[in-house]
Amino acid sequence: MSTNRTKEQVDPQESPCFGPAIPAEWLADFEAAARRPLALRMKYAFIKTYKPVLDDASYRSFDTMEDYRRWCEENLPDWLGYGRV
Amino acid sequence: MGAFEYRQAQEIRDVFARHGCKYLFIGKSGAILLGFPDTTQDADIFAEKSPTNGRALVASLRELGFNLANEQAREIERGKDFVQLRNGPFDLDLVFAPDGIERFEDAWRRRVEVEGFPVCHIDDIIASKAATNRVKDRESLPRLRSFRAYWVERHDRST
Repeated sequence: MSTNRTKEQVDPQESPCFGPAIPAEWLADFEAAARRPLALRMKYAFIKTYKPVLDDASYRSFDTMEDYRRWCEENLPDWLGYGRV
Repeated sequence: MGAFEYRQAQEIRDVFARHGCKYLFIGKSGAILLGFPDTTQDADIFAEKSPTNGRALVASLRELGFNLANEQAREIERGKDFVQLRNGPFDLDLVFAPDGIERFEDAWRRRVEVEGFPVCHIDDIIASKAATNRVKDRESLPRLRSFRAYWVERHDRST
């Protein structure tokens, strides 16, 4: 077993999850969410803020996903994060 | 218009079921249904692309209160790859061909039911986000992959 793991990570063998190491803070979040009923989880999860350009039309459609991705890159502000890496 | 609510998700589930729609929750909204604690703005639906399903979707969306013009309805029936709806009681994105998932049937076979909501498997949600390669998805992927490890272990224990 590795002994040089960071303090922020939970060792997979010590956590209930036997996958890759999960940061302790995230693991606590996952456990807390699992204890909440779905309705409450959704109440916390869905938010509404205005997204410029994206929210300015009531309907848009694209023949292909590539068309949609390109439209996002050409029309949306970078800070919305819709541009490709 | 406010944020998407549990009650509205139930309405989607119930109305879509009544009309026989074949669909899955995908994206972050799907992950949230699986238990992923994070925030998002709209619901994403991965729908099977077929004329029958398209007609069922249009009937369902109209029943839910989406104001679809006839041309828009025809586009949904035809199954355009991506349709963004902001003309109803909540924001909804319809995806007929998400990046990273080959066929609807494959995702359907791997689906997970959460309180009657059909949801893409976490692996499909991650595959789709990874293939999209957007800045915002790249940022959420490490946490989503950690959630996958947690969810798979938990899910396997309960089945």
